[in-house]
Amino acid sequence: MASSAKSLDGSRPSFLGIRVPPAVETMAQHLQELDRDTFRTLLKVVVSALEGKDCKESVKVILETSVLPEEQLTFLISGMYSLLQEALRLPLSTLKQEAFKEDLKDLRIPEDFITDFVGLIFGNRRPVLDAAAQKQETRLPGLEDFRWRVDVAISTSLLARALQPSILMQLKLSDKTSHRFEVPIAKFHELRYNVALILKEMNDLEKRSVLKIQD
Amino acid sequence: MADLDSSKSLSALLNGIVQRTYFSNTEISEELLNRELYPQLSPHEFRVLLDKMRGVLKSIVSADMDLNQLEAFLTAQTKKQGGITEDNARVIAKFWKNHKINIRDSLITRSKWDNSLKAINWRVDLKSQSRHIDHGNTPVAIAEIQLGKNGQESEFLCLEFDETKINYILKKLSEAEESITALIHTS
Repeated sequence: MASSAKSLDGSRPSFLGIRVPPAVETMAQHLQELDRDTFRTLLKVVVSALEGKDCKESVKVILETSVLPEEQLTFLISGMYSLLQEALRLPLSTLKQEAFKEDLKDLRIPEDFITDFVGLIFGNRRPVLDAAAQKQETRLPGLEDFRWRVDVAISTSLLARALQPSILMQLKLSDKTSHRFEVPIAKFHELRYNVALILKEMNDLEKRSVLKIQD
Repeated sequence: MADLDSSKSLSALLNGIVQRTYFSNTEISEELLNRELYPQLSPHEFRVLLDKMRGVLKSIVSADMDLNQLEAFLTAQTKKQGGITEDNARVIAKFWKNHKINIRDSLITRSKWDNSLKAINWRVDLKSQSRHIDHGNTPVAIAEIQLGKNGQESEFLCLEFDETKINYILKKLSEAEESITALIHTS
């Protein structure tokens, strides 16, 4: 049965949402009799998984060496993973440490483990975890490097005196492809104008008050 | 009246040569020009006229003559044995005045072999949420860049930029612009 997750005064919804994910709830139950060493071992694996590392081997080792039954360990790992994932989604400005602690207390998670969770979400490991989350985000390729060269065609097979400048551009993208193309002068001005316009639009967008709403 | 007709025919012939030679228009054949413009000339006679005009045009086009150069060149041609008449010269001068820019543009384009930038479309989005991150509402620019060669299918490049990258590109483009301005002003 899913319990409703409200803080004690009932006014603030939990960071886990209105309904606590079943995985987290089951984990909280299994945490009651867990020793701290095992907890930390599990936490380590979960963090590596959140960082995008392959944890098949380490999980296998834990399952083979631990005295706990496999089912219980699986509940713990998946619950811890869901809990941390939800907490990491929220920016530090939204999720306050006190509120986070309270929410975990409501789930009846033992004090020692709360300290460990807090250390992870609000500690110095956070930037690494955020960077890992950024990496997993779906996105279009971005720009890595941009190089240009201005050419002037002096003479061609068809024109004795061409003297026409043009720009050769090379874009290196984050998907490791690179593209080279010529830009005629007229197109160059169009391009520059548009890039400047994009920047202006982005600045304008940031200034709009709708973006300043913080909860 | 005959003069008017002959200058019309010559003007049309010049146009035909330009279309064939500089705009790769294959629909205009020598036979067609002969039949439509100079039906009174035998294929051999027409050939001589065609070669002469083609040669004159080639010199003018290749040197991208301005009006003074053109006048000097045409005067020389009228005085040459087997050259052109003064009427011819007038028609050629008028033709070149009208078509100089188009022809030059076409030739410049034809000596580009790389992909070239055709168009850029963009939009600015606001990133709000994703699977792993609840974003602090950051703007992001999505750009579609159309690259292609003349007469070939274009390829489309879709890219994503944050504000820092857009700033970076703008800086690079300004550098390139300075370099172009310097070139144009010194030459």
